[in-house]
Amino acid sequence: MIGFMQAVASGIAVGSSYALMGLAMVIIYKTSEVVNFAQGEMALLSCFLTYMALEFYGFSFLAAFAGALAFAAFLGGFLEFAVLRRAKEPNVLGMIIITIGLEMILLGIVSWKFGADPKTMPFPVSPYDSVAIGEVFVSSLEVLTFIVALTVMAVLFLFLRYSKLGVAMKATQQNTVAARLMGIRTNRILMITWGISSVVGCLAGLLISPITMQPYMMWDPMLKGFAAAVMGGMTSLPGSVFGAYLIGIIENLFGSYVSIEFKSVVAFAIIVLVLCIKPSGLFARHYVKKV
Amino acid sequence: MKMKRILVVAAVVGMVFGISLGAGAEQGVTDTEIHIGQWGPQTGPAAPWGSVARGTGDYFKMINAEGGIHGRKLVYHMFDDGYNPAKTKAGVKELQESIGMFAYTGGVGTACGLSVVDYLMERKIPWVGPSAGSLHWIEPPHKYLFAVYPLYYIEAKALCRYAIKNLGTKRIAIAYQNDDYGKNGVKGAAEELASHGLKLVAEIPVEKSDTDMKPHVMKLKQAKADAVLLWVTPIHAVRLVGTGHAMRFAPQWLSTSTCSDFPLMYKISKGLWGGVIAATFGEMPDAKDPLLMKYKKDAYGKFAAKGERWGLFYYAGIIFSEPLIEGIKRCGRDLTRERLVKEMEGIKNFKGIGGRISYAPLDLAEPYKSRQGMKEVFLVKCLKDGKYEKLTDWMEIK
Repeated sequence: MIGFMQAVASGIAVGSSYALMGLAMVIIYKTSEVVNFAQGEMALLSCFLTYMALEFYGFSFLAAFAGALAFAAFLGGFLEFAVLRRAKEPNVLGMIIITIGLEMILLGIVSWKFGADPKTMPFPVSPYDSVAIGEVFVSSLEVLTFIVALTVMAVLFLFLRYSKLGVAMKATQQNTVAARLMGIRTNRILMITWGISSVVGCLAGLLISPITMQPYMMWDPMLKGFAAAVMGGMTSLPGSVFGAYLIGIIENLFGSYVSIEFKSVVAFAIIVLVLCIKPSGLFARHYVKKV
Repeated sequence: MKMKRILVVAAVVGMVFGISLGAGAEQGVTDTEIHIGQWGPQTGPAAPWGSVARGTGDYFKMINAEGGIHGRKLVYHMFDDGYNPAKTKAGVKELQESIGMFAYTGGVGTACGLSVVDYLMERKIPWVGPSAGSLHWIEPPHKYLFAVYPLYYIEAKALCRYAIKNLGTKRIAIAYQNDDYGKNGVKGAAEELASHGLKLVAEIPVEKSDTDMKPHVMKLKQAKADAVLLWVTPIHAVRLVGTGHAMRFAPQWLSTSTCSDFPLMYKISKGLWGGVIAATFGEMPDAKDPLLMKYKKDAYGKFAAKGERWGLFYYAGIIFSEPLIEGIKRCGRDLTRERLVKEMEGIKNFKGIGGRISYAPLDLAEPYKSRQGMKEVFLVKCLKDGKYEKLTDWMEIK
């Protein structure tokens, strides 16, 4: 029983970082229907710059992390403005290919600048201290990640539902032309969306970095976050968070009771299953585009 | 017209003659140069091991600066294969078929090496010191392949022997990378334990893509292991030890030489690497060995790129190439591949900055004796700030 409880707790713990990445991907998808494969590497660059600020320039945690989030917002907006907006006759597939290109460029920059030796980010909360609930252990960093993931989800949910900017974002996704006719500056909305998404991704990265940092560290969380988002329906914020926790828990239970060798691929098997049974994802409202 | 025809015939004859002359000389060797190749991951998940190939490069530069070998300079061709066997194969073919290497040295990764071993051996191209302690290099033994890196298999044996005899441990488990590298560790550990009437209490596979180590640690904890062998990448090793700490599981961690770069491991584990015991095949970075100090001063000090660290992986690139250089030196001016093999087979108890190295004439019944150069390792313990404590002297494991 303790083994089962531990597996569930571990699943929730690991699901939090997937959830943050999933949320970041959903925000962009909600507005532009583009799956941003550069999401992980955008966070990566911000995290490595934060590492540099902390390790080499002696910045305080507060200044470094605030700077990281500000930089992430700028980077997201800049990439949308300078690269994606410049695409000629853009279609969704072309945009996705651009994001893959950006992913490779950002990865290349980080590998070139920071080298390949693994690093670890100084962080006020230790990834190796734990909170014990009876015989079940969860690390302090995982508790923090859990709180951050749920808070970000709630804030984004409220923001998109009740704020003027959030509603404008939704309108931009549903019908860009109509939104523009209503006076919404859709280009600006897209830029802001990329900025917000980049900040959420950066939060995920900052919470992963205290364990180990290396240029490929965001690839797995990004893929799992994407898987969670697909499972949740790609447009639903709570859906992607739910999907992330589900993947985390199933992975851990599968690893504990069935096969530890196939633990990592089980997430993708679940997606295939979900997409076969409910192609629009578990939480998506069926949305039909009218001609 | 007649003159033109004579010229054409003369040119054709000259070309044929020229080609036949070229074919007579040894590939990759000229009067002034010896071309040697190596691959190594400079990018990708195994890039921390990329310093091996850079270490070799700086070692060769040092040799050239000191006048080369018998009037010839070493021309080093290193390429980045990203730890991807398909790229290794393409890169080696390109090097061989465009420039033509005399020999290869080092080369990180069992799978990467396996992708080119047949290609090299069929063409009778010597390869000295694959940068992986796999049994594949000597089983079956090849005439042109000389292993240096002590087998992961014997490292596992040495660690288990130490844990049983010196630490009184009976319940030993292993977390291993689910590939040839990891399985070599499992094999060595299982054999050593069997000789003491024991068994591994858990064998936990770790996939390279795994990032969450809780299920692995949970299984180790459930097996009530007193000591756990780590046959994984440095990042996975840190995650396992860290997750163990968070889950209040504190066995004696025992690690393969691939994670014995203590200053690095101590730093990225936020100090949790302290107390870990590792097998290793090279002198410690701060050892007072005169040859090691010379390499540090003349190879690393003069030629290393900015930001390069004087760590075990870096000078492992020197350790793996030292026997090749010794073999080339013994050939004198008459440098051919056949002569090199003969001279290499004559190397006995050669001591560079690693363990002693000996080879013998190829004997299919004695692969370990004839083609496994280094047969000894020693054990070290990580202390505070990544400092070392030598636990044993060089141990030869049969």
